[in-house]
Amino acid sequence: MYLSLNWVKKHLKLPNIDAKQLALDLTMSTVEVEGVMDQSESLKDIVAGKITELTKHPNADRLYVCQVDIGEKEEQIVCGGNNLKKGMTVALAKVGSKVKWHGQGELVTLEKTKIRGVESNGMIAASSEIGLGNLFPAESENEILDLSSMRPKVGQPLAEALKLNDIVIDIDNKSINHRPDLWGQYGMARELAAIYKTKLKEYKVAELESKKEIKLRVDVEDKENCYRYLGLAIHGVKVEESPWWLKVLLESVDIRPINNIVDVTNYIMYELGQPMHAFDAKQIADNHIVVKQAIKGDKFVTLDGEKRKLPEGALMIADSQRNVALAGIMGGQNSEISNDTTNIILESANFKAASVRRTSVALGLRSESSTRFEKSLDPVLAEMAIKKATEMILALNKEAYVASELVDVDNNPFKEINIKVPEALINERFGQIIPTAEIKDILKRLQFDIKYKAKTFDINVPSFRATKDISIPEDIVEEVARIYRYDNLESKLPIVSLKKPEIDIRLQESKEIKKFLACSQNYHEIYTYPFTDQIWAKRLGFDLGKHIKVANPFSPEQAYLNISLLPNLLKKAEENLRWYEEFNIFELERTFDKNSKGSYHTDPSKKKFLPKQDKYLVGVEVSKQSAQDTFLSVKGLLETMKDYWNIDWEIEEVELPFAELAFQVKQQQIILGNFGILNSDLFDSGDTKVNVGFWQLDFTATTKYINRARKFQALAKFPSIERDMALVVDQSIKWQDIENEVYKASSLIKLVELFDIYTGKNVDKGQKSIAFHIEFRSDERTLLAEDIDKLMGKIEDILSKKFKAVLR
Amino acid sequence: MEKKLQEIKQQMLDELDSVKDSEFLADLKTKYLGRKGKLTQVLKEVKDLAIEEKPRMGKLANEFKKEFTDVFQKTERIIKDKKEGGTGFDATVPGARNKIGHLHPATIIQNEIEDIFVQMGFGVYDGPQVESDYYNFTALNTPEDHPARDSQDTFWLEGGLLMRSQTSNLQVRMLEKYGAPFRGIFPGRVFRNEATDASHDHTFYQLEGLMVDKGINIGNLISVMKSTLSAMFQTDVDVRLRPGFFPFVEPGFELDIKCLICDGKGCSVCSQSGWVELMPCGMVHPEVLKAGGLDPNEYSGFAFGLGFSRLIMMKYKIDDIRLLQSGDLRFLRQF
Repeated sequence: MYLSLNWVKKHLKLPNIDAKQLALDLTMSTVEVEGVMDQSESLKDIVAGKITELTKHPNADRLYVCQVDIGEKEEQIVCGGNNLKKGMTVALAKVGSKVKWHGQGELVTLEKTKIRGVESNGMIAASSEIGLGNLFPAESENEILDLSSMRPKVGQPLAEALKLNDIVIDIDNKSINHRPDLWGQYGMARELAAIYKTKLKEYKVAELESKKEIKLRVDVEDKENCYRYLGLAIHGVKVEESPWWLKVLLESVDIRPINNIVDVTNYIMYELGQPMHAFDAKQIADNHIVVKQAIKGDKFVTLDGEKRKLPEGALMIADSQRNVALAGIMGGQNSEISNDTTNIILESANFKAASVRRTSVALGLRSESSTRFEKSLDPVLAEMAIKKATEMILALNKEAYVASELVDVDNNPFKEINIKVPEALINERFGQIIPTAEIKDILKRLQFDIKYKAKTFDINVPSFRATKDISIPEDIVEEVARIYRYDNLESKLPIVSLKKPEIDIRLQESKEIKKFLACSQNYHEIYTYPFTDQIWAKRLGFDLGKHIKVANPFSPEQAYLNISLLPNLLKKAEENLRWYEEFNIFELERTFDKNSKGSYHTDPSKKKFLPKQDKYLVGVEVSKQSAQDTFLSVKGLLETMKDYWNIDWEIEEVELPFAELAFQVKQQQIILGNFGILNSDLFDSGDTKVNVGFWQLDFTATTKYINRARKFQALAKFPSIERDMALVVDQSIKWQDIENEVYKASSLIKLVELFDIYTGKNVDKGQKSIAFHIEFRSDERTLLAEDIDKLMGKIEDILSKKFKAVLR
Repeated sequence: MEKKLQEIKQQMLDELDSVKDSEFLADLKTKYLGRKGKLTQVLKEVKDLAIEEKPRMGKLANEFKKEFTDVFQKTERIIKDKKEGGTGFDATVPGARNKIGHLHPATIIQNEIEDIFVQMGFGVYDGPQVESDYYNFTALNTPEDHPARDSQDTFWLEGGLLMRSQTSNLQVRMLEKYGAPFRGIFPGRVFRNEATDASHDHTFYQLEGLMVDKGINIGNLISVMKSTLSAMFQTDVDVRLRPGFFPFVEPGFELDIKCLICDGKGCSVCSQSGWVELMPCGMVHPEVLKAGGLDPNEYSGFAFGLGFSRLIMMKYKIDDIRLLQSGDLRFLRQF
């Protein structure tokens, strides 16, 4: 929304402050200001000039060399305009002025230059190049702005000549979403009057005099969605250009002038915030307006020439035969004002916000009108608007007269709102005492009708704030506070009640494990999107049907939610191969499982639950080591984490379609995750031969088993003795089995630790040599060499029986 | 005897000067400190001294012995160092270090912010990302057809659920669960179906805060924010509130901080205004308190939403928000 200072000044006297201060005051009390634009500043160093000489450029076919009289001197300009004439008055942008080349891109500052060898001191501008495209639409790109008909003085600054001396404040639309009253200049003036304690001029509209030549009939069939409809016929209009003053005001709010009828309806929309529409009366059958719901699927051509398929529930304006407008959104091409129009029907209505919004969303068609109706406009406005518009149209069309009565079908559902606000509530929310008189004054300035009794404000809300904006005491607290200004409030730390802390173990553990992986395990933490990479999901053999599908995806590639973090992690791994040959990455995030019930309920009845969205901790290791070593590295990491967490999970080999070798991690029959190495053909690593290890843990489940409790054990009283053993066994024998057997041999064995596996020279084919330490210790006595010898003998016996092991 | 000791010492020091290698030094050591060494011989005489002389001379003798030992040790070290230096050891080569990984910058910042709030007595909580319409909107005083739903282009899922568009989805969940008084923050990722560019991504990070108790007021909100932001930026931060509209707060505010780059004088970072918009906040709407099972006549509170993707960009001067989700190690290794 643009706020024109010239425009609001018609409604109040602004204090003598600069526009920046005004923008700041508005920001602090009312809305968010995006910028301040000064028309004369943007037209600085652009003056009216007269072409005194026009010759062809010696070195370019389409260029001319012009001598332009700008009063104090003549400037030579090279120009490619296709409508240049000697004696023409043009806009001359001097060296140093800011223009947009061909009306596009950023502003550039003009410099003295040579074009194909001929000096050029500035530019003869096209309208769009100096931001005047709305006021002076050009027919072709090379058409320069011809100001001859405006008769400016030679050398006169353009801003002065065209009366473009407004200051325009750009207001962020989002910040007035909740304020239907601020979508017009008059509403803004009202707000400024409250801020600056100045008087707002009453909005006067003349009473209508009608010749009652015709009967206009309005039937509102859908009262639910049309709160009010005012209609009126005006005959004898002559459609032509609007007067300059009107065009200039429309320019301030960035509206392109069209003609003296449409411009008036636009003017009213920007003045009061009330959208209006004018129909060519000739196109309205039987002078009969019907407001009703569309038949779903019917076609309708809107003003912009688009043929649209009407959605269910779309509210239409029709005559006795056909649809003529999409209510509150856009008029129809079949009944628009043309140059031959002489009779018009004016519409000023109020439609239900939700209905306009729904239809506009369904059609993907938003307009200045629908934007306003969506905010819940005050139905009172509609009457002011049609009266004011009529007054203006009659003033601009000397022959025109009101031909019908003003028809008003009023189903206004909004009731007067009364709110009782205890003074104590205001002071409590502020955290400090505000004098009663000050509160009263602020509320009155905002046009609230108030009574003060028994320390309570009894407030009647004016209609323009009562459509949704103000309804509860807290709304009044806000009104007082924002005009009082939040920066005048004292900052005070609260006095609080202490409470037993509730610690989320899972969040703590996630912090811990992230640090552990990053700081001690050479893992890099990455974040990925919640949307699964479908190429990788397919490579891994995942069924996309089991993924939650996004109904309105950002792109088709991002249509499914992660059921596992692995696809995205592998994709990122593949991408990083361009820069790094070996690395480890991990992510800890939620995954989404369509088919499992989670623990979060969907509403307070706690009958339905959201899908399971457990957190997973997943890692990928890209390595140039052998597949076995990569596997052992991943396995080692899992074992390290197991130690770190003090969990006693178990692992067992498992088949995974995408893994060359994989194990799953289990805790009491509950599967916590898996790890392994990826099938080597899945990963495209180009010329570099790498192996890829992966691991994934259901973090939500795993954290249940993390055991931070430790029990102290008395330090060993007697020394331990270590012996080594080296055996040769068949290659099929698993170390795990040997280890288990050794432990079983005696309770004095405290540790069995593998340190070498060897095949090759001096070991028969199909055999392997295994070497390990064994640590013996007794809690009752110091072990003697004889004890150990005996035990070593026993172990050797067992292993040779079980595994045909031979001592080396 | 004392004189004798001094003589031996002088003699030893003279001979030491000519020491070139450790072998010669070892000989010298034996010559003086060995079993039959010169000093040892003298020390043996102590036991033959008169009883009243014994303690003093004994002490002195020991001091000499210690002095000799020290001198030899020192010399030994010098020789050793010289010798190894001679074989070409370069102490400037890198040490034997362990490789380390990196935390994501968002994790780092999140940890920092959490610590601050935890010290202020706030709990840290977590919640669902796939959410119901009820907790993301309806319970937050944003019924269907509310235009505020427009400004948040929500990702809808087949079956009617959605991806949370704000961490505010936990406000009512937490009030339901813990009641009042409540002080908590909810960090996490949120999703909006918006066009992406260097400063917008459809997935980004927020940190919601909620405090509900008896008598909580606007002054409290200003003060808590000022304190926590000062801790966050490690300098005294000035804040200001101005009106802002969010359906689940009343009144609602935008909180700006005085620009830390120019100290409020106006620069390119703050678009010459001297202030930088940092977070939406407000007093919890009575309807939200009711949805959380609380009586708005008894309790009041404030809520705030810190967009910490933006904070990360500010802190590390990152020029493209999408780098955060890029998984690009060239980026991540910098933190």
